[in-house]
Amino acid sequence: MTTATRRHRSVRVKQHGVPRWKQYLRNTVLGVYALLTLYPLFWMYMSAFKTNAEFYASPFSLPTSWNWDNFVRAWEVSGMGKAALNSLWVTFLALVLTLLLGALTAYILSRFTFRGKRLLTGMLLLGMLIPVHSTLVPLFIMMNKIGLLDTHAALVLPYTAFELPIAVFIVLAYLTNIPKEMEEAALVDGSGYTGIFTRIILPVTLPALSTVAILGFLRFWNDFAFALVFINDPNLKTLPLSLSVFATGYSTDFRLTMAALAMASLPTIIVYLMFQEQVMKGMAAGAVKG
Amino acid sequence: MRTFTAKRAFVTFGLLPSIIIYTVFVIVPVFWSAYYGFFDWKGIGEARFMGFGNFTEALGDDIFWLSLKNNLIVVVASVFGQVPIALLLALLLRKGTWFQRFVRASVFMPMVLSSVVIGIIWSTIYHPQIGLLNGLLDMVGLGEWKKAWLSDPAIAMWMIAIPIIWNFIGPYLIMFLAALSSIPSEMDDAAAMDGASGTRKLISVTLPMIWDTIKVTIVLCISGSLKAFDLIYVMTNGGPAHATELLASYMYNSTFNVFRYGYGSAVSTLIIIISLILIAGSQLLMRRRNQT
Repeated sequence: MTTATRRHRSVRVKQHGVPRWKQYLRNTVLGVYALLTLYPLFWMYMSAFKTNAEFYASPFSLPTSWNWDNFVRAWEVSGMGKAALNSLWVTFLALVLTLLLGALTAYILSRFTFRGKRLLTGMLLLGMLIPVHSTLVPLFIMMNKIGLLDTHAALVLPYTAFELPIAVFIVLAYLTNIPKEMEEAALVDGSGYTGIFTRIILPVTLPALSTVAILGFLRFWNDFAFALVFINDPNLKTLPLSLSVFATGYSTDFRLTMAALAMASLPTIIVYLMFQEQVMKGMAAGAVKG
Repeated sequence: MRTFTAKRAFVTFGLLPSIIIYTVFVIVPVFWSAYYGFFDWKGIGEARFMGFGNFTEALGDDIFWLSLKNNLIVVVASVFGQVPIALLLALLLRKGTWFQRFVRASVFMPMVLSSVVIGIIWSTIYHPQIGLLNGLLDMVGLGEWKKAWLSDPAIAMWMIAIPIIWNFIGPYLIMFLAALSSIPSEMDDAAAMDGASGTRKLISVTLPMIWDTIKVTIVLCISGSLKAFDLIYVMTNGGPAHATELLASYMYNSTFNVFRYGYGSAVSTLIIIISLILIAGSQLLMRRRNQT
C-alpha cells in the first residue's frame, strides 16, 4: 500500500515537478529575498555593537569588536528603564482587561440569546472599520475633559476598546466549535454562570486566548499614536514614545540609537520567534477583519 | 423563573463593562468629532459654533488635497508593490519545507516591529551622509545618483512607500498561502490533464480561484494607507513642504501643533467619510464584477 502510493507520488512529481536547476534558481532567489528583507534589522543589531568611528567608516561590515557597553550606555542615556517599565505595566493591564472582557463577551454572545445581540455584533464589526487615527482628536478632547490625559488609563482603556472586537471574534470562532455538554452538566450541578465562565470557558478557550494575548502584546507594546497624543509626562512615557526622540535628529550618536532600538525590539522579536504560526495567522486574520 | 433572572443578570452585568468601554472609546469619538467639527475651539474657553466653516476650509485647503493625493500614492504603491510580491512569494512558497518556512517567517518579521523602530532604521538608510543607500551607490560606482532621499519633494513620498511595502507584505503572503492551499488538488490534476502548465495554468486556473483573496488584499491596501501615520511622523513629519503629508498627519499637525481642535475634528470626520467611501466603493466594484 505504502509503496504503491509512494510510487504514485514519485510519478506525479515527475509529471508536474520542476527541473532541478529551476528549483535551485528559485530557492536562491527566495533566499536572497529573505536576506534582503531581514537586512535592515540585521544591520540595526550589527551597528548597535560598533564604535561610532566604525559606524561611519564601514557601515556594511560586521563589528570588529562587540561593544556590549553600547547597550548599557543607551539604556542609561535614553532613560529606557522607566519607559520599559511603563510599557510593561500598560501592556499588562490592557492585556488582562482585553482577555477578560473579550472572553466574557464572546461567551455571552455564543451561549445566550438576548435582545440587541445582533446590534452588538454589528457595532463590534463596525468598530473594526473605523481608522484608529481619526479618533485621536475627539479622544484627546474627551480625555482632557474627564482628566485622563497624562495617565496610564488613557492608554489602557483605548487599547482595550480597540482590541476588543478582534478578541471577541477570535474567542467566538473558537467557542462555536466547542460542544456545550460540559457547561450544561455544570448548570445541572448547580453551578452559576460566573462559575461556568471561570471554571470551564476560560480554561477551554485557552488556545484562542493565547492568540489574543500574543496579538494584543504586539499591538500594545508597539503602539505609538495613542501614546504620542495622550502622554506628555516624561515619567509616564512608553518605549516607542521615548525612542521617538532619537528620530528628531538631536542625537548624532547612531550606535546608541541603534542599541536602544535593538533593545526595545527584542521582546517582540522573541515573542514572534516563539509563536510564529500564531502571530502570522492571527495578524492575517485580524487584518482581514480590521 | 429564578434561572431566567439569573441568566438575565449575568448577560446584563457581563456585557456592561465591554459595552461601556467600547462605546466610550470607539463609538462616541466618531460622533463627537462630527459634532466638534462644527465649532471653532482652541481647547480652552468657549467653543464657537461656525456651521460648515471647518469643513469648507479643509476642502478648500490645497494641503488637504495634497495629503489625499499622497494617501492615494500609498494605495497605488501597496496595490502594485505589496500584492504582486506577496502573490509571487506565495506561489513559490507552497511546499512548507523548513527553508520555505524560514523565508515566510523572514518576510513577516517587520510586522512585529514598532513603526518607530522601522521609521528610524529607514531614515538612517536614507540618510544623505551616512545612509546605507548612498553608501551602496558609492560602492557600485553610481555616486552621482546619490541623493538626500527624504528631502527631495519630488521623490520623498515614493521613498516612504518602500518601507511601507516592506513592512506589510507578510499578512498578504499568509492570506495568499491560505487561499492557494484551499484550491482543491483535483483542479491541478484537471489542468495538467488539459495540458495547462506554468503561466497558462496560473492565469486560467490559479488566479481565478484566488480572485476573491486578491480583492480583499486590495481593500486592505486602501484602508491600510489611512493608517500610515507613525512612519510619516517619525521619518519626515509630513515634510519637506508637506510633500509627504498624509491625511492622518495633516489631521495631527493641524490640530495639536496649532491647537485647533474644531478643525482637527472636522478633518477626522472627513477621514472617516473618505475611508467609508473608499471601502464602500471598492465593495461595489467587486459586487459588479461578481455579477458579470
